[in-house]
Amino acid sequence: MKRFVKRFMRNKRAITPVLSHLLLTVVAVAVMAIATSATFVITTNLRNNMSERVIVEDVWFHNATGTVDMYVYVHNVGKVSIEVSAVYVNHVRQSFSEPFRLGLNGHDWLSIDCDWNSGDVYHIDLVTSRGTHVAGYYKAP
Amino acid sequence: MLQAITRLLRREKRGISTVIVVMLSLVLLVIIVGNVVLWSYQMNQVDMDRMQENLTIVNVTRTDPTGFSMEIKNTGSISAHVVAVWISNSTVHQRYSADFFLNAGESATYNRTDIPVPPDAFLAKLVTERGSIAVFSTD
Repeated sequence: MKRFVKRFMRNKRAITPVLSHLLLTVVAVAVMAIATSATFVITTNLRNNMSERVIVEDVWFHNATGTVDMYVYVHNVGKVSIEVSAVYVNHVRQSFSEPFRLGLNGHDWLSIDCDWNSGDVYHIDLVTSRGTHVAGYYKAP
Repeated sequence: MLQAITRLLRREKRGISTVIVVMLSLVLLVIIVGNVVLWSYQMNQVDMDRMQENLTIVNVTRTDPTGFSMEIKNTGSISAHVVAVWISNSTVHQRYSADFFLNAGESATYNRTDIPVPPDAFLAKLVTERGSIAVFSTD
């Protein structure tokens, strides 16, 4: 047995093919791992984009003492959590209560710092971080 | 002839790696497309269900001392799960949680004694789990 091991250790023939095969196997496994991860990431992103469903339950043109704001009640009825990243009123970007995140089936008021006039119609557009738009026309009372 | 071709194919080792790479890529592509198509189908079903949902608030009457009685009809072809009630007027917009089901074609009276109703004109809304909204105005 000892002799066999000694002979095996001394014999240097065919080491290059073994090494090259080993290296090729490692490279192939790494490439497949990267491809599988990319597949997972791509499908997850696509699924998340498709799963977003957001509704506006109510819009309140609030006129409290000293402040004139709009309040939008947002309800997440989709299958992923959402984050509102931008709010446009009449196609003009407005500041709002950031960060505004809603989990599954979450709902809350979103306040928009925007002046309004009684009787005017406003186009309110909420944009999520994944690019979903929830827009509608609302008339101030 | 066929035997010759088979022999040639068995001996010829060139291009095997290309074939394996193409097959693996195809498997990945099928996984991506299949996953997306299946999920898209599921979400389409969700949207279809929401479109079929149709709740109508027939009437809302005040009850003494506080509260209201709401007559609701499900005119859609699918059962609806109501999760919220809104009572709003010019000064207050208030959301109240609710939890009741209405089968397709069913009419029901929803009574709440814990919700104060404004004495003047108001707007009542029902919100379902799928995101449909039924509105009733006392104007």
